[in-house]
Amino acid sequence: MKLTRRDFAAGIVAGLAAPHVITGARAQGATIKIGMCAPVTGPAAESGRYAIQGAKLALEAVNKAGGILGKQAELIVEDDQTTNPGIVLAFSKLAAQSDIVGFLGSIRSTQVHAMAPDVLKLGKPVMIGGTDPNLTHMGNQWLFRFRPNDSYSGRVIAEYGVNTLGKKKWAVLHSTDAFGTAGGKALTAALEKLGSPPVLDQGYANQSQDFTPVVLAIKQSGADILGSYFTFENDLGIFARQLRQLGVNIPWVGSPSIVNITALKLAGPALYNTYGVADYAEDSSEASKAFGKLYRDAVKVAPDNQSSWPYDAVTVLAAAINKAGSTEPAKIREAILSIKKFPGAEGEYNFDQNGDGLHGYNIVKNDKGNIVFDKHIEFND
Amino acid sequence: MDLVLQLLFTGIGIGAVYALVALGFVLIFRATNVVNFAQGEFSMVAAYLMVVFSVDLGWPYWLSFLLALGGMALLGVIFNLGVYYPLRHRTFLPVIIATIGASILLANSVLAIYGPQPQVLQGWFDTPGIQLGPVYLDSQYLLIIAVTIALVFFNYWFFEKTLLGKKLQATSQDKEMASLLGISVSTMIMITFIYSAVLGGLAGILVAPVLFVSIQMGSTIALKAFAATIIGGFGDVAGAIIGGLALGVIETFGAAYISVPYKDGFAFLVLVAFLIFRPQGIFGERVAEKA
Amino acid sequence: MSAPSDNMSIPTPAVHSKPLLIRHSPFFIGVAILVVLAAKLQFDGYVLNILLQATTFSIAVFGLSVVLGLCGQINLAQAAFFGLGAYAVGLGTTDLHLSFWLCLVGGCVIALLAGAFLGMSTLRLGGHYLAMVTISFQQIVTLVMINAIWLTHGPDGVSNIRRPELFQTSQSYLAFCVAMLAIVGYLVWHLSDTKLGRAMRAVRDNELAAGVNGIDVFRTKIYAFALCALLGGLAGGLFAGGFAYVSPDQFSFAESIVFLTMSLLGGVASPVGSAIGTGLLILIPEWLRFLKSVPGLYLAIYGLFVILIIRFMPDGIWGFVADAFNRWRAHTKAPPVAAALQLKPASVGGEFVLEVTGLSKHFGGLKAVDGVDIAVKRGGVHALIGPNGSGKTTTLNVLSGLYQATSGRIVLDGTDITHMPPHRRTAAGLGRTFQNIRLFRSMTALENVEIGAERPGNSMIGKGEDALTERAMEALTFVGLGNRANELISSFSYGHQRLIEIARALAANPTLLLLDEPAAGLNSTEKLELHELLKRIAAQGLTILIIDHDMTLVSEAAQHITVLNFGRRIADGESMAVLRHPDVVSAYLGSE
Repeated sequence: MKLTRRDFAAGIVAGLAAPHVITGARAQGATIKIGMCAPVTGPAAESGRYAIQGAKLALEAVNKAGGILGKQAELIVEDDQTTNPGIVLAFSKLAAQSDIVGFLGSIRSTQVHAMAPDVLKLGKPVMIGGTDPNLTHMGNQWLFRFRPNDSYSGRVIAEYGVNTLGKKKWAVLHSTDAFGTAGGKALTAALEKLGSPPVLDQGYANQSQDFTPVVLAIKQSGADILGSYFTFENDLGIFARQLRQLGVNIPWVGSPSIVNITALKLAGPALYNTYGVADYAEDSSEASKAFGKLYRDAVKVAPDNQSSWPYDAVTVLAAAINKAGSTEPAKIREAILSIKKFPGAEGEYNFDQNGDGLHGYNIVKNDKGNIVFDKHIEFND
Repeated sequence: MDLVLQLLFTGIGIGAVYALVALGFVLIFRATNVVNFAQGEFSMVAAYLMVVFSVDLGWPYWLSFLLALGGMALLGVIFNLGVYYPLRHRTFLPVIIATIGASILLANSVLAIYGPQPQVLQGWFDTPGIQLGPVYLDSQYLLIIAVTIALVFFNYWFFEKTLLGKKLQATSQDKEMASLLGISVSTMIMITFIYSAVLGGLAGILVAPVLFVSIQMGSTIALKAFAATIIGGFGDVAGAIIGGLALGVIETFGAAYISVPYKDGFAFLVLVAFLIFRPQGIFGERVAEKA
Repeated sequence: MSAPSDNMSIPTPAVHSKPLLIRHSPFFIGVAILVVLAAKLQFDGYVLNILLQATTFSIAVFGLSVVLGLCGQINLAQAAFFGLGAYAVGLGTTDLHLSFWLCLVGGCVIALLAGAFLGMSTLRLGGHYLAMVTISFQQIVTLVMINAIWLTHGPDGVSNIRRPELFQTSQSYLAFCVAMLAIVGYLVWHLSDTKLGRAMRAVRDNELAAGVNGIDVFRTKIYAFALCALLGGLAGGLFAGGFAYVSPDQFSFAESIVFLTMSLLGGVASPVGSAIGTGLLILIPEWLRFLKSVPGLYLAIYGLFVILIIRFMPDGIWGFVADAFNRWRAHTKAPPVAAALQLKPASVGGEFVLEVTGLSKHFGGLKAVDGVDIAVKRGGVHALIGPNGSGKTTTLNVLSGLYQATSGRIVLDGTDITHMPPHRRTAAGLGRTFQNIRLFRSMTALENVEIGAERPGNSMIGKGEDALTERAMEALTFVGLGNRANELISSFSYGHQRLIEIARALAANPTLLLLDEPAAGLNSTEKLELHELLKRIAAQGLTILIIDHDMTLVSEAAQHITVLNFGRRIADGESMAVLRHPDVVSAYLGSE
C-alpha cells in the first residue's frame, strides 16, 4: 500500500520532475549500495573527481576481496554542485533509495551542516570528511568522520611550532569562510593553552586580489612564526609571493592547503621550507604508501586527502558491515564505533564515541617543492 | 611612512587593473547605453587564451599575446552579433540580462574545457620586482600602471584626433544624427565591442601573472570595475581611470587601517555614498534632458 | 496563531471582493486540493525538498514579478532580502528562542525596511544605477553574514531552525507553504488591477505620462521595491523553516541572478509565470544531472538559454501563452454602456484660470523660455503658437512640471504650483497630452483612461472600482471610442491614440487642459473630428491651452492667442488681431 502511494506521488511530480525519481521505489537488487554526494560541478568539481576516484578504488578492492555480506558493492554518486542546497537535494535523492545502506557525505563542513538534519531524520550512517569539530559534537550520531578534525590540526600546528620549532610569537591568518574561521579559532585556542596567545589574529575574505595590508600587518606585529588556514590555492599563492617579496621569511606552518599540488604549482619557490599539516602523507605509514601506489597507478596523479578519505570511508564502511553481519543502521553504527587500530590511508583509525576516527595529524615539509614527511603528532584525549 | 608608500603603490597597481576593465565598460556604455555584465569574463577568456598559446603550445610570449588579443577581437564580434545586436531596439533591461547570460556561458564554457584548477602564467619580465628604498615595486604592477597611463593618452589621441575616433564619439552621443551624417551606426557599435573586448582582454593578460588564471578572476575584478565606473561618472573615460585608481587606493588603505575581511565592502560603500550624494560621479555623466 | 496573510500589505481589490471571490472560487478550490495533496501524499525526502524549495523560491520570485514585471525596475539583490528573512527566522528561533511567527513577521519587516530604504536612496536615478546599488547591497549583506560571526554565526550558518508547532512534520509544513504561495500568488495576481498596480504599470510603460496623470512616480517605485523586498523576506523565512539550516552562500549574488532568471524564464509580469520559471529552474538542474561528467557544461548551457529566452521569448513562457489568450479575450469582452461625460472644472480663483508671470527656463547658456507672461481666461480656448524652436513645448513642460522653472511664477486657479512635482500639479487640476503620444502601451484603452480618472482630487468619480470604470467609459465614449474600450493600445490608429490620450486627461476632470500639438500627424478627416471634439469640450466650460502649428485649427478654435519667438512673448491678444500683427507675420514668414 505504502509503495503504490509513493509511486503515485512520485508520478504526479514526475510529470514535472525527473523520471528517475521513481528509482526510489525500485526493488532490492543483487548488490549492496553505497551512496556518495560529491561535487561534480561547481568550484570544487576538480577535487570531487579525485574523491570519486578514491571511493571507486576502495570499492574495487572490497569487491575483489569478496564484497559486502557476500554481495558485490555498488557506488551511486550524486552531484552536490558544491553548494549547500545542492547537497541537500543530492542527499535526499540518495536517501529516497531505500536499498542504500550507507553514505559518503562531503569534505566541506558547511555542506555537512546543511545535510545533517536530513541525516538525522533518515537514521543511516554517513561518512564525512568535513573537519569542523562541531559536526561530531552536536548530537547527530549518524556522522562518522574520516579525517582528523580542526581542533587537532590547530593543536598540531601549535604543538609543532611551539615545541619543535621553539617559536612563541605567533601570527594567525585565516580565511573568513567556515573552514578558515573554525581552523583559526582552534589554532588560537591551542596556542592559548600552550601559553603563547597569538600576537596577530587576522582574517581575510576569499578571492582577495591583494594581501599587501595583511603582509604589512604581520611584519609590524613582530611575529616570529606564522600559522595559516587558507581555503583557495590562488589566495595562498598570491599571499605567499607577496609575503616573500616584502621580505617576511619567518617559519610558516599551514593548514593542509599549503601542501596541495595546485598551491605548489601556483606559488612555486615562495612556499619552499614551509610546513604543513596533512591528514594524508604518503610516507607516513605502510597503508598510506600502499594507497599512494594504487592511486598513482590508476589515476596517474599524486594522491592527496581529497581521495584518501573516501577510500578509507568505503573500506571501513564495508569492513563494519561485514563485521556487523547486517545492513541494519544501528548495527553498522556499533560496528564502526568499535573499530580500533584499523590501518587506513589517512592514518590509524580508532573511533571514539563521537564518531571521530582520527586524532592526529602528520607534519610535512616543503623541501624545494617536494613534500617530505616530517613527523606524526597524535593526541589521546 | 614606508608602510604608506608600500600601500600606495599596491593600491595604485590594483586600481590600475580596475581602471583597465572599467574602461571597457565605459566604451560600451557610451556607445550602446548598456552595462555589459560579461566584461569581466572578457579578461578571464583572454588570460586562458594566453595559457593555451604560451604555456600549452609553448609559443613565444609576444606571439601568444597578439593571438590572444586577436581572439578577443573575434569574441567582441561574436558577442555583438549574438548578444547585443538582436536586442538593440529593446530597453536596457533585456540587454543587461542577456549579458549576464553571456557571462555565465563564457565562464562555464571555459570551466568545461579547462577545468576549475587555477593556472600559472609567467609575467613579461624575468625579474619579479625591484626594491626602491623601503618600497618593493612588483614589475608586473609597474607594467600595468604604465599601460594604463599609455592608454589614457592613446584614448585621448584616438577619440579626439582620428576620424574613426570622432565617428565613434558622434555615434555614442547621438545615433540618429550620426546616421544622418552617413556614419554606419552598426559598424561603429561593432568596432566599440571589438575595442572593448580587446581592452578587457589586455587587462586580463596583464593581471594574470599576479592573480593567476582562474575562472573567477574576471567576475571579482569586474564588480570592482563597475563601482569604479560609477565613482568616475558613467560614460566618462578619464573618470573611469580616476575612479579605478581611487577605488584601489581606498580599498588597500581601508584593509590596512580598518578591516581586512570587509575589504570588498569598502568599494560598495563608497559606491553607494557616491550614488546618494553625487550620482553624476567625479566627472559627471552627460545627462541629456529628455521629454 | 495569527493568520498568515496578516503581514501582507498588498492592497486587495476592495469593492469587487465579493463577486471576485465567487468568480475565482475555482482558484481557491484548486488551491485547497493542492494543499490537501501536499499534506496527505507520502512524498519521499527528495521530492519533498524539491517541492519545498520550489514553493519558497516562487514567493521570492513573485516579488520580482512586482518590481520588474509590474513596475519595470531592476533588483539584483533579491537573494539578500531572501537572506534577511531567512536569518531572522534562523537566528530568532534558535538564539533568541522566539516564536516562529514572530520571527517570520520580523523578517518581513526587516526586509521591507531595507527595501524601502534602498529604494528611497536610489530610485530617483535610472536603471543601471539601481542595478549597481542593488549589487552593492547584495555584496554588503553577504559580507556581513560571513564576517559578523557574533550575530550570524558566520560561514558556519545557523542550524536546527525551528518550525511552528502546528507544522512540525515536513509534509504539513509543505502544505502550509503551498497555502502561503497560493495566497501571495493571488494577491500579486490581483495587484495589477488595483490602483497601486495600475500606477506601477503606468510607471513601467511611461514615467513621464504617469507623472502628469497624477501618479507619484517615485513613491510608486518605492512601494514596488519595498513590496518585492517584503516578499523576498517572507520567502526566506519560510525557506529557513523548511530546510532547518541556512548559511551565507545560499544568499549570494549568484542566487540573486538565479531568481532573476527564474522570473524571466517564466514571464516577468505574472505570478503564474514566476511559479513556472521557478519550478523549471529548480527541476532543470535535476534533469540535467547526466551532464555532470563535464564540470561547467550544465551552467554553460544554462547561460546560453538565458540569452535565447531573452532573444526569442521576451515575455517568458507564460507571457507567450497569456499573450495569445489576452488578444482573444480582449475582443470578446463587450464593454459596458456609458452615460454622457460630465466635465465640471473647479473654479476657486478669479477670472483667470492660469496666470504665468516672468517665466524663464534656461539650459546652461540657452534661454529656451525667457520672461514669458501668459494669462488664460476661464472657460475659453487659448492658443500658444510660435515657429519651431520658439519655446512652446518647453513652456508646456515647465507648466506641467517636467522641467523646473529657472524663475517666474505659475498660478493655477489660485494655487501657486511653481515648485510642485508633476503629479501634484495634476492633483491641483492640470491635465495634459503630449506631442509624441505617451500612452501606457501594455494596457487597454480603458485602463489608460482609468489611470487618468484616478487623479487624486477628482470630484467626478464615486467610490470604488465600478465608479472608476464608469467614469473612464464615459470619457472614452465622449471621444467616440467607447465600443473599443477593452482593446490594447497597439491596435488603435495614430489618430485614435491621440483621442485616447485626450480622454485620459478628460476623465480626470481637470481645471485646465494643456494640449501639445493635438493635430500633429492627423489626416484632414481626423482634424475635423478633433475640432468638433474641442468644441464639445469647450462647451462644457473646460478651459483649454493649446499649442499647434495648424493655423486653421488655432484660428477657428481659439479666442485668444499668445505668440512666442526665441523664448520671448512677441504678441498676445484676441485671435484675429494677433494673427495680423506684423511681428507675428514676420516670425512665421521671415523678414528681411
